[in-house]
Amino acid sequence: MTVATITTDINIGPFKIPSNGQNMIMNNYAQRNNIIVELVIPEPMMSQALATVQWIHKERKLTKVILSSIHQLPTEEDRINELLMNMKGVEFHFALEGINGKGESFLKEVIKEAKIFMKSQSIESTKTTWLDLHKTMKNS
Amino acid sequence: MNIYKELTQGKGYAVVEIEDMQIFKELRNSFIKKINISNDYKNDMNLVREKIAKMSKAEVNQCMIDLLKFNNLSEMIINSCPKLVETLCGKELFIQRRATIVMNVPGEGQAKQWPHYELMSGISPFTYVIWAPLHDLEENSGVYYVDQKQSLEIMKKEQETGIVNGPMVLNMMSEQKPEQLNFGQAIVFNPFVLHGNIAFNSKFARVAYNVRFQSCNKPLLQKNSDYLKYHQLN
Repeated sequence: MTVATITTDINIGPFKIPSNGQNMIMNNYAQRNNIIVELVIPEPMMSQALATVQWIHKERKLTKVILSSIHQLPTEEDRINELLMNMKGVEFHFALEGINGKGESFLKEVIKEAKIFMKSQSIESTKTTWLDLHKTMKNS
Repeated sequence: MNIYKELTQGKGYAVVEIEDMQIFKELRNSFIKKINISNDYKNDMNLVREKIAKMSKAEVNQCMIDLLKFNNLSEMIINSCPKLVETLCGKELFIQRRATIVMNVPGEGQAKQWPHYELMSGISPFTYVIWAPLHDLEENSGVYYVDQKQSLEIMKKEQETGIVNGPMVLNMMSEQKPEQLNFGQAIVFNPFVLHGNIAFNSKFARVAYNVRFQSCNKPLLQKNSDYLKYHQLN
């Protein structure tokens, strides 16, 4: 019966969140939802496999894990399948999105949503102005 | 002028009729149930509003935080206006993950919302907002909207001086006339239209919801999965 928070690389999909920021986000989520965190798992930088979590789960039998965002889930098919197989009964919480659930269909749905967001284009706000944004809307 | 043109080329906002009143009434009844002020109130919105009007600011804020657990509110709003939403954005959407219910208490010094553009929060220029009260509005208790042309003039002046939402905008609260809406009507507007509210007198609080949505085929700006979720219209 172990509840863990997971920190990952600073680059999380469209976000850039340093690990102490990730900890703040997850701890605040845990507090708001009356979840007591017992373990903090740091995944290595430049990896999106969540492999450390899966190894620890074999030893510690995790019941709940909290991540900052759905964008921390693996994106490669084989990595996704490993995660689905190894973490079947574990409840996943995503703090920024404020959603949670467990099981294959929940995780597949969440991974699909993350992919949709990553596929969408984005306007770089440092390279535009308010009036340019208005023109973009008007000419659409 | 059709609604899309009115929002992009015209005034930038429009009053519309809610298409599916059954969903809209369910939404209002869910609100009354979730706010859980008293079991005696059943589905009497005015009794709930009267009670809210007597709450302290802290109590109102706490209620609004509690209402964030109303986690299918966004879908209910979108599904109550499907034709409008499809006309503006198609069937595949990004919608606000947690739509907001805002409660405004009558009296001087109670106006909650300073004038602002929605864009300043980082939603994309392709986003639209639906705002609707859960009851008929009393005089001056609604939201005022500054038409797109005037909003743009102000934006131009602000950009020249490197300011966003500066004193020129903040001083706009006086001499504004809020839109008068009835239960079953909503306002849809683009993210460049300045809007806000003013103090009003009534024995009832104002209760309204708002939700933001855009096509998922249009670019995002700063808001992402933290704020939006994928939604497909039936």
